[in-house]
Amino acid sequence: MRRILYLVRETVANIWVNRMSVAIGVVTTAFTIACFGVFFLLYWNLKNLAGSLQDEIQVMVYLEPDTSKVMVSGVRRHLEGEHAVASVAFISEQEAVKDFHQQFPEESSLLDGMGDTPLPASFVVTLAPGFQSSELVEGLAERVRGVPGVEFVRYSRDWIDTLGLFVSYLEIGALVIGLILAVATVTIIANTIRLSFYARKKEIEILRLIGATRSFIAVPYVVEGAFLGVVGGGLSLALLKGGFEVFRFELDASGWFQGLDSVIAFFPFQISILLVVTGFLLGSASSLLSVYSLLRSRA
Amino acid sequence: MIQFFQVTKYFDRYAALRDVTLRVDKGECVLLTGPSGAGKTTLLKLIFGAEVPDEGQILVQNRNIARLRASDVPYLRRTMGFVLQDFKLLPQKTVFENVALPLIIQGTAGLEVRRKVSEALKAVGLDHKRGSQTAGVSAGEQQRVCIARAIVNSPIILLADEPTGNLDTNLTMEIIELFKAIHARGTTVMLATHNRQVVEEMKGRIIRLHSGRVLSDQGVYSETNSLSCP
Repeated sequence: MRRILYLVRETVANIWVNRMSVAIGVVTTAFTIACFGVFFLLYWNLKNLAGSLQDEIQVMVYLEPDTSKVMVSGVRRHLEGEHAVASVAFISEQEAVKDFHQQFPEESSLLDGMGDTPLPASFVVTLAPGFQSSELVEGLAERVRGVPGVEFVRYSRDWIDTLGLFVSYLEIGALVIGLILAVATVTIIANTIRLSFYARKKEIEILRLIGATRSFIAVPYVVEGAFLGVVGGGLSLALLKGGFEVFRFELDASGWFQGLDSVIAFFPFQISILLVVTGFLLGSASSLLSVYSLLRSRA
Repeated sequence: MIQFFQVTKYFDRYAALRDVTLRVDKGECVLLTGPSGAGKTTLLKLIFGAEVPDEGQILVQNRNIARLRASDVPYLRRTMGFVLQDFKLLPQKTVFENVALPLIIQGTAGLEVRRKVSEALKAVGLDHKRGSQTAGVSAGEQQRVCIARAIVNSPIILLADEPTGNLDTNLTMEIIELFKAIHARGTTVMLATHNRQVVEEMKGRIIRLHSGRVLSDQGVYSETNSLSCP
């Protein structure tokens, strides 16, 4: 108990003695983690956007004009038999015209003089989860094109794939930048701990002389590093949240990207905690590295 | 207790100790003398594992210092007490806290710490100063705090390097008396000193070093061999 009390007191003393370098360390760590956080937040939102768009992907199967009810039923049976298909909705020629008028009231005149059924009947196919990749959709489209009564099949995969590719590049970018910034954070914290260590070099010399183990000497410095990382991580989270709210406010006020505000979101609680945990882990690891390398000799 | 077998230690090609062979038995009082650079401090450092011999072997309580892992060195040191010329105390801590440190490191229980520290402080006559800041007490008292810290965990061996180097004649006498009392309790004492007064008063086995070699291992100091003492 007395040992724990001693270690706690030493940690507090370390932080107090080096309060200036600890404060600088906390602020730099906070900014470094926040830099990564900005990038990660961008990646997070785009990934979510791509994910929700992917979930909504639909395949339109247009039927030949004047297809008989039997053929329509045949096409439906074929579609419902496909593993990739989650649900099928039929839009008759009349419903298609009605929808056109509802969606494009200004352009209603375009259909004038084209008869009662200028638009083809179609099936709207919603894909099952896990069947939304390009290859699988293309395979489904190929199979459906051969079904009697089907005139053509259309799906808007390309731009979603491009977005997916962009997100995957962003993922690699986040990883690389995260790695670089992690090294920077480790260096900052390790140097702060090193300063703290040198400030108490005489004391450490005495502790070693009277039989203190490396772990006993290292604990206050490792706790100091962990503290620095946690506070830095917490501060970075506050900076990110503040910055995010300002950005959203400005976005709303400008009126640009209307509708996007419902898609843009801050990190969920778990990810927010992960930022602080990252700070804790980086802080602990860097102080461990720093202290153990300084305590290598036997003297 | 302590055995040196043809030990040589170099520092940048300079031999601080050369071919030293000696044996110190349990309960002995050994006075290491010799001019500066003779190798006294190096010899003590080898005993407490701060250095490893370049040649030869050292056994301390049957443990081979050359083969001792760095992680085992603290446990070896816990069986020893150290008194140094520059005290090596923590000035911002109280006398009590300084003396308690070796016990805290070993994880001794709180009550036991208080009891042992009180005993050690009484032994050096500083019980009344337990709450004082170490930086605020006199040089003689600081050395006594250092001695209290060295004996608080009842060490088997007490190593002292110029313990009276910063003290006047009267204070030196006080410290000598403390060392005598510690030795009388059965502790093996090894003391490196320049001080003739210490050599004369301690009446221990005198080992003279010069340029890293053992010049003489004379046994107890007497008037007849006093001229050969430094």
